[in-house]
Amino acid sequence: MSIDPITLEVLTQGLISIVREMRATVCRTASSVAIYDAKDFSCGLFAPDSQVVAQSEDIGSHVVPLPWSVRSAMEKFGNDLAPGDVILSNDPYTGGTHLNDVTVIFPVFEGGRLIFFPAVRAHWADVGGMVPGSMSGKATEIYQEGVRIPPVKIQEAGRFNQAALDILLSNMRVPEERLGDLEASLASCRVAQKRIHEICARYGVDTLLEAVRLDLDRSEARMRACIAGLPDGVYRFEDYLETYMGGRFEPLLMPLALTVAGDRMIADFTGASPQVPFPVNSTAAVTAASVFIAVKSIFDPAAPLNQGSFRPIEVIAPPASIVNVQRPAPAGSHGEIRKRVIATMVGALSQVVPDLVAGDLCRTSFHNLIGGYDAKRGREWVHYEWSAGGNGAFRESDGPSAMATIDWGDLVTVQSTEVIETRMPLVVETSRLAVDSGGAGTTRGGLSMQRSMRVLAADSRYSLLSDGAVVPAFGVMGGLSGVQVGSWVESDGAIESFDTPGKVAGHPVGDGGIVVVRSAGGGGYGDPLLRDPAEVAEDVREGYVSRQAAHDLYGVALDTRSAVDPVATETLRRRLREARFALPTVLVEESYERGAVSKRRICRLHPRDAAAAHLQADDLVEIDSRRAAPLRAWLRIDPTIALGTLPIDHAGLEILRASAGERLEVRRIATVVMPQARLAEAAE
Amino acid sequence: MSWLGVDVGGTFTDLVFLDREGGRLQVLKTPSTPSDQSEGILVGIGRLSLEAKSLERIVHGTTVATNTALEADGARLAVLATEGHRDVLVVGRGNRMAIYNIKARPNRPLVPRSRCVEVRERLGVDGAVAIPLDEENVAAVGRHLAEENVEAVAVCFLHSYANGDHERRAAEILSRFLPKAVITTSSEVLPEYREYERFSTTALNAYVAPRMRRYLGELRNRLGSAGISASLSIMTSNGGTLPAERVEAMPVLSMLSGPAAGVIAASFVGHAANFPDIVTCDMGGTSTDVCLVRGGEFSMTTDGKVAAFPVKIRQIDINTVGAGGGSIAAVSGGFLTVGPRSAKAYPGPACFGRGGTEPTVTDANVALGRLGTDQLLGGEIRLDHAAATAAVARLGHELGLSTERMAEGILRIAVVSMAGAIKEVSVLRGIDPRDFALLSYGGAGPLQAAAIADELGMRTVVVPPMPGNFSAFGLLVADVRRDFVRTRVATVDTLSPADVQAMLAELIEVGEAELEAAGFPPDRRRFAASLDMRYSGQSFELSVPVESDLADMAKLVNGFETVYRTRYGGTTTAPIEIVSYRVAAWGLSDKPALPSVDTAGHTMEAAQRGQRSIVFDGTSHPTPILDRERMPINAAAFGPVVIEEAGSSTIVPPSWSVERDRIGCLVLRRREESNQ
Repeated sequence: MSIDPITLEVLTQGLISIVREMRATVCRTASSVAIYDAKDFSCGLFAPDSQVVAQSEDIGSHVVPLPWSVRSAMEKFGNDLAPGDVILSNDPYTGGTHLNDVTVIFPVFEGGRLIFFPAVRAHWADVGGMVPGSMSGKATEIYQEGVRIPPVKIQEAGRFNQAALDILLSNMRVPEERLGDLEASLASCRVAQKRIHEICARYGVDTLLEAVRLDLDRSEARMRACIAGLPDGVYRFEDYLETYMGGRFEPLLMPLALTVAGDRMIADFTGASPQVPFPVNSTAAVTAASVFIAVKSIFDPAAPLNQGSFRPIEVIAPPASIVNVQRPAPAGSHGEIRKRVIATMVGALSQVVPDLVAGDLCRTSFHNLIGGYDAKRGREWVHYEWSAGGNGAFRESDGPSAMATIDWGDLVTVQSTEVIETRMPLVVETSRLAVDSGGAGTTRGGLSMQRSMRVLAADSRYSLLSDGAVVPAFGVMGGLSGVQVGSWVESDGAIESFDTPGKVAGHPVGDGGIVVVRSAGGGGYGDPLLRDPAEVAEDVREGYVSRQAAHDLYGVALDTRSAVDPVATETLRRRLREARFALPTVLVEESYERGAVSKRRICRLHPRDAAAAHLQADDLVEIDSRRAAPLRAWLRIDPTIALGTLPIDHAGLEILRASAGERLEVRRIATVVMPQARLAEAAE
Repeated sequence: MSWLGVDVGGTFTDLVFLDREGGRLQVLKTPSTPSDQSEGILVGIGRLSLEAKSLERIVHGTTVATNTALEADGARLAVLATEGHRDVLVVGRGNRMAIYNIKARPNRPLVPRSRCVEVRERLGVDGAVAIPLDEENVAAVGRHLAEENVEAVAVCFLHSYANGDHERRAAEILSRFLPKAVITTSSEVLPEYREYERFSTTALNAYVAPRMRRYLGELRNRLGSAGISASLSIMTSNGGTLPAERVEAMPVLSMLSGPAAGVIAASFVGHAANFPDIVTCDMGGTSTDVCLVRGGEFSMTTDGKVAAFPVKIRQIDINTVGAGGGSIAAVSGGFLTVGPRSAKAYPGPACFGRGGTEPTVTDANVALGRLGTDQLLGGEIRLDHAAATAAVARLGHELGLSTERMAEGILRIAVVSMAGAIKEVSVLRGIDPRDFALLSYGGAGPLQAAAIADELGMRTVVVPPMPGNFSAFGLLVADVRRDFVRTRVATVDTLSPADVQAMLAELIEVGEAELEAAGFPPDRRRFAASLDMRYSGQSFELSVPVESDLADMAKLVNGFETVYRTRYGGTTTAPIEIVSYRVAAWGLSDKPALPSVDTAGHTMEAAQRGQRSIVFDGTSHPTPILDRERMPINAAAFGPVVIEEAGSSTIVPPSWSVERDRIGCLVLRRREESNQ
């Protein structure tokens, strides 16, 4: 069967157009505000072998993992599907994301043959569980996060499976709204079915399927060509998620070994931390999808998205780890694993294609909740705040400030002050980009958003479920880290900060108290001492960088009129370059230290070296070769280490593309940016 | 007495002249002069046979405001912001423009952050003063901005939709230090809540205002030198006209000036030709604009954008797709695309013979013989058949397709993307386009109209008289219109009909004053009120029509529920809120009658100019060429037929028929045996 290039384009556009119509139908008919208003849903067309065939402006975090759910459904029902059957599922353990994302999979037949699955994955406002809204930072088992729905036939031969439906709705809050959400997804799939039949009638089913095959094949060919252009090898990186085990900070290790072999790629997360009884874990589907989102966004942003791009990529996620959660551990907070998987991919690929990557993106989904009972209005209130942070810088440009990351589609992240104040007992006193929050570099990381919200109700509470409060977004090629997320409460001039940054549960806020939240900054790209001094001066003029940071980090001396002093700048840059603390590396067996569940990389230094570098025990440090992304480690002061040496294991050297004996820079990352310092600056 | 409509586009300036006594319409095309549009206009006027003294009204569609924004060529702008909130315009809504691209670039705001200056002041939600305006602070900023040589300032304070006092006072103070600058307040431009959208609209207004002022000044000078003292109005995005002085202060109202005029003309002609339900399709050189008109009413939106910047003023809901006559067909990375890259006016399509080598939609039409080469395009450009064919053949060779298949393929892909634009305003909103006629204009539109209709299953295509100058004609039939809005959020159960009436009465009063000033007596004024409503907790509103003398809140609730159900299927039990109050005010102007068609001695035989061989669906058909002006009325011809006239050609494919109706429209009908 052959198909001409014109018909191929027409059918490709036709399928994308079907998905657009599905989206519009969901928007028109759903009941959950999160669906029709915040657009927290995605649609797609899938082939029976579970590949994404077409999608539109959908959210990557929904649509890219969807094939795993389709596959689970096919494994379970396989040949037992007939026209009029509809599958419902939300089970993270069989291809889902988190329980709130409920998926309808709708088999479409043509001439008795199963040809497509239109599917809708939508965030239902509630699926039962321990708290309204179902997502809780306190969940220790999945049962607390709502009802698990393994793939079930919710309709057979066009009729509802009433027993299943009754059980589900009986376990969810506001059941009539949930039924409305389900009906919306069904209506959307029915529209798709109708359009698919129309295309088949006009062009023939064989032509349509051939067009799909070619579409997938050409995306695959594009991606294989990209990968084939990379040098073969194993590229490693490692990053962390943050938990507090029994109140004590413990980073959970996520190591990646990315193998490039010819035109194939294998992303192997073997060695990832075991799963934990907190909502940090996520599913194999989410992990693999995040690898795909990274690859697509780095190598082939232009072409329409379908599964062909992902065929050359294999993902290994060890069961019962944070990247492949198993029963009964919770899976509520999939956004953090997603962002960290993308970060490890960026880190590993920075060793191979530094021109194509960016500094790390804003690190976390940053879920802030402020709420309570508003006695003046006589009602409960909750403000949900998820300001995006800075994105990483890349070779051609500074990173965008306060912008949704690549896994978030076109989600709006900065809410209107006027709307917040109309609805909530809150006054947004300031909403500004945080100066110096973007990682310094030849190109600068994007800035984070800092908002101060005064609470005008007694007995309110503040919660935060976030990551990246200790370990910030990394720079690449010698670029520096962005700032970590931060939050604190100011009341009566005093500042209350939290013992467990990033994880705050129901902290009391009095009437008139101010909650300050700051999203993460993006990582820088390249050595900041190589940034054009004129651009640094402009950043100072525009208020993106302080004079102090221009001096200390960029080595740019400005005169009283904020113009660059070229001579002083050259001297200063030379001095800063010489003052960088570097030590020759010595190969050791292993550089990790075990914790309660996981392990972390440590950097052991002789006390005199530590003192010379102004480092203290437990500091978070970066070891950097400036050839890729840096390596993070926690400092241990150890008199048994030879003076003037930097012990490092083989994996560490690989990550840095460095060899034993080579001198590498060690520098401190400020682990917590003290709010007091920020206040002093604001006062100034 | 006579009227003149002037629509300036990227390539051509179109003029429509109406001699009201003689009932004579004269149309003309002349090349646009982008550096100063007024120059081309005067050239056009010089070529019309008009008496300067008898010209009483000029209505103008202009792209000056839009181009200034798109080309980022506006004023040196500053923004005065509420303390703590300088970054509203810099950050926007924090959403990503380029999905799946790790190298998404930062948005470039119209104004650098360093010229977004905070001053101490703060209002509450209800407009109450929380922190009084620090006037010395404003004065200090004024001195600083004067040193910075700013040309325009947008004063953008939080909650100013509820109380514009601080903004007005700040503007007064600033004007002392910046006597020559344009100073715009957000409460004047758009007293509607959601600060980013309001500030963006205000900043755009300030950004384009100095250039608009210069342009209109220059145009007035030139008209004056030509002895013309006619009143000058500008077409605005809501489909109305406003006196030029008004638009000079509020140029952001004219962002959709030209396209809006086309929709007005379409709805006028649709009414006259008994097609109240139409989809308009205006195909230009680089893009195609579509709009849905139902029962003669076009839909409105407040979700407009210019470049990446939201423009929240109420405007006709026109959807644009980047495919037009000049759209380039190319293969990249294994994908065949047509547009959005365009050959523009220069060098233009290969057939223009000005050095363009890549094939465009127009080249495909020329190569297939659909567009004849014996007429000058726009009276100016001789089309080169050989150059068009060579350009198409080169791409065909690359893809292994014959020249004819390639040319048809280029048209097919362009048609699919134009049909996609129509789907977005119909199918995606639950409306079936098959219940509508496709009204097609723009010089290139009637070439593709039947194919677009076929793609959507639409059965009727209407090609109005003077399709190539149609938007300019719309300028002559538009009324004066202003849209007023005011945000005051409250749930319905806390309001009485008197509260709603009072809010609307305030807006109507402003409208009355404006229409009075424009010289409309009370019997020529018309008002329509609507409310933006939603369920509490939602973040967007639906527009619900309301009587300005509303007597019963239950009626309002019913109205909202009806609109909601139509749009979203069901309703819920959440409390209902009114968010904003809107009033549209019209000053009704005289409309010209469409001249009746002179058909003496017209027959199909007499109309036939010749015959060309034209390819449809891979088969070459001998195709008669008809002269539109000589066609009889109410007599059918059967496709394939090409109908030519000055400025446009209409293709009637084999499965379609065509007749000319009594007012001169070509009505194409799909023959029933070719089912979809």
